Amino acid sequence: MKAFDIALKDMTRSFRSTFAVIFMFGVPLLVTGMFYFMFGNITDEGGFTLPKTQVVIANLDEGGPKFQVNPKNIPGGKEADSMGDLIVSILQSEDMADLIEITLVPSAETARTAVDNQESQVAIIIPTDFSHQFADVDGKAVIEFYQDPTLTLGPAIMRSILNRFMDGMSGVKIAVNFFVDEAEPEQLFLTGQVVDQYLEVSLAENDDPEVELLDVRNPVDGQKNDAAENQNLLLSIIGPIMGGMMVFYAYYTGTSTAQSILKEEEERTLPRLFTTPTSQATILTGKFLSVFMTVSVQIIVLLIAAHLIFGIEWGGFASVALMAIGIIVSASSFGVFVNSFLKDTKQGGVLFGGILTVTGMMGMIKIFAMNSAIANKMGDTISLLVPQGWAIRGLMQAMGGESFNNVALTVLVSFLWSAAFFAIGVWRFNRRYT
Amino acid sequence: MNNSAAIEVLGLKKSFGENHAVQGVSFNVNQGEIFSLLGPNGAGKTTTISMLSCLLRPNDGDANIMGHSISTDPMGVKSVLGVVPQDLALYEDLTARENLSFWGKMYGLRGSTLKTRVDEVLNVIGLRDRANERVGKYSGGMKRRVNIGVALLHKPKVIYMDEPTVGIDPQSRRNILDSVVLLKNEGMTVLYTTHYMEEAQELSDHIGIMDHGKLIAHGTHDELVKMVGQQTRIDLTLNGNADQVMAAWKETEGVSRVTSDEGLISVLVQDSNLTLPHLFEAATKHSARITSVNISEPNLEAVFLHLTGRALRD
Ligand SMILES: Nc1ncnc2c1ncn2[C@@H]1O[C@H](COP(=O)(O)OP(=O)(O)O)[C@@H](O)[C@H]1O
Ligand SMILES: [Mg+2]
Repeated sequence: MKAFDIALKDMTRSFRSTFAVIFMFGVPLLVTGMFYFMFGNITDEGGFTLPKTQVVIANLDEGGPKFQVNPKNIPGGKEADSMGDLIVSILQSEDMADLIEITLVPSAETARTAVDNQESQVAIIIPTDFSHQFADVDGKAVIEFYQDPTLTLGPAIMRSILNRFMDGMSGVKIAVNFFVDEAEPEQLFLTGQVVDQYLEVSLAENDDPEVELLDVRNPVDGQKNDAAENQNLLLSIIGPIMGGMMVFYAYYTGTSTAQSILKEEEERTLPRLFTTPTSQATILTGKFLSVFMTVSVQIIVLLIAAHLIFGIEWGGFASVALMAIGIIVSASSFGVFVNSFLKDTKQGGVLFGGILTVTGMMGMIKIFAMNSAIANKMGDTISLLVPQGWAIRGLMQAMGGESFNNVALTVLVSFLWSAAFFAIGVWRFNRRYT
Repeated sequence: MNNSAAIEVLGLKKSFGENHAVQGVSFNVNQGEIFSLLGPNGAGKTTTISMLSCLLRPNDGDANIMGHSISTDPMGVKSVLGVVPQDLALYEDLTARENLSFWGKMYGLRGSTLKTRVDEVLNVIGLRDRANERVGKYSGGMKRRVNIGVALLHKPKVIYMDEPTVGIDPQSRRNILDSVVLLKNEGMTVLYTTHYMEEAQELSDHIGIMDHGKLIAHGTHDELVKMVGQQTRIDLTLNGNADQVMAAWKETEGVSRVTSDEGLISVLVQDSNLTLPHLFEAATKHSARITSVNISEPNLEAVFLHLTGRALRD
């Protein structure tokens, strides 16, 4: 009962501190909000979706040296027999459907008019000699990009996709040019195979954000509804960010709340507590309980707030509950552990700032390295060296809809970390005041 | 065990490394009295109080508080005890009421009892009107009063007050000294530490003088003063015939010594009330006028000087 009183008193103090509240709730939500507005915008209904760019394409390419591209290397999977076709089929592919809506028109003029009349945001005009120029060593294969000057985001996304594509294609161009130069006329039909091989290699290695972005998108419920997919794409970006922020600041709260033990020592209220008929065990239990309860309030509020504000789906109830307890317990015990090694709060300021930042970054490396497969693998290993990594892993598993057992296994590891931290922390604090 | 002793201190010792902060201190405090530990900074008062509140474990010796031993029954000690620490020990981000309420719970008070006691204590410390302000916003004197209030909540039988008037305005100081007397009148035993001689003199039934970790003397104020044989000193100035007057004063009954220093004449007497009229008569006889008189009753300052060769306040 007294332990509970101590914990409640501490919580009152924490939540009364503007500084603490900002770091507990404000910063994680704000950072997530920032990414939110970077990647999405508010629709009238109050939900958030990535803007879908209306693109009109006039593909006038008459083809060049005959080639056939193997459909399996093109995201859309359609066959293409000119460079223009290739571009169109890539832009029309399912993966791009989240970002752009394609309309094909027969002439350049129609395409431009569509933009002028604001029926489309971007017009792409592929000239008649595009394939020819592409295959010519000195040729300049240029696509006309015509956009509504009042718009920014949609055309920017489009331009960026196209640029990436053309960058990738310049590699093909060199390969094709080389082949065309060397090949006998009757072998020219092989050009298609060269492009094919090149695409196979370059798309596999490609780690540019746009392509990865599309790979990351992974509709949890498999719905093909457009709005839902945009939402999923956005959430797949900010969900982990919010999760990472939440774990980082849960550890921050755990550490700073546990530091109230040292603070009370300096405020002289801890010695005064020891003059009341309250056992040391009760007092320390109260302090530890306050850490646990404060982090609990933080996590619960953040989980709910992130769901309500950003629509983040954290996963199944049982998994989320377990994952949340895992975060709370490990953040609290980490706080107790770290502080048990400090002499005073002055030491704490410098030391735990560093420790928190380094271990927090290590734990979150996976989220930052999301865009690259190799870094992702390494990030996995590195992040699991720190308890934050396990907390984030549990969180991602719950969010990714993995089975309860998988989440439970990760949380179990979190609990093991916690047990060790807590045991050492309690032991050290107990010894300190005896 | 002495039945009337609320606090029984038996040869307490405490060293911090080479610093022998308390070197075998023993004294008794009777129930319902105010006992002052008087001594300069660093004398070992706080260290003694800390051992008596079970915060520090003595290297040697023991003490019983209302019959509870500090070494074998610390919980018993803590339950009869209210401690007012030398340093403010309050939650500045909580209000006075929240502070009192929290500390009351730590003393085991709950519900309506707690509420009533918090209100009563707020009255005693005179902060009822401002009870809902955060303590951090209070003046030094007000904080001191809350600091004392915390120790009164559970109506302890014994209360320790470690230099409760340090660094505050005269009004708060008066309020605190008055409330100490009120506590005594309610039957509490008070162990009070101070380095202000006047406070010890005004409040105490018994005084212990501490220096360098030792209790160098203890007793009532009068006992201490008599013990070192101090007399009342009368300082006077004359407008003439000083030699003749001084010679006459030396012969006056009750005067033990007459000295002069640059026109200021000091006369040591047993009782100034009895002797002073004779000093005026003698002056009149020799046609001299006494132009100023200053009487210094024997005091603890003098006792401390006598015992240690140093002034109490450096
Ligand atoms: N925790 C401590 N560690 C080391 N030395 C201490 C400690 N507390 C007190 N002292 C030393 O013990 C002596 C007595 O201090 P203290 O009891 O605070 O004196 P007082 O309260 O009479 O001013 C001083 O020399 C002080 O420096
Ligand atoms: Mg002291």
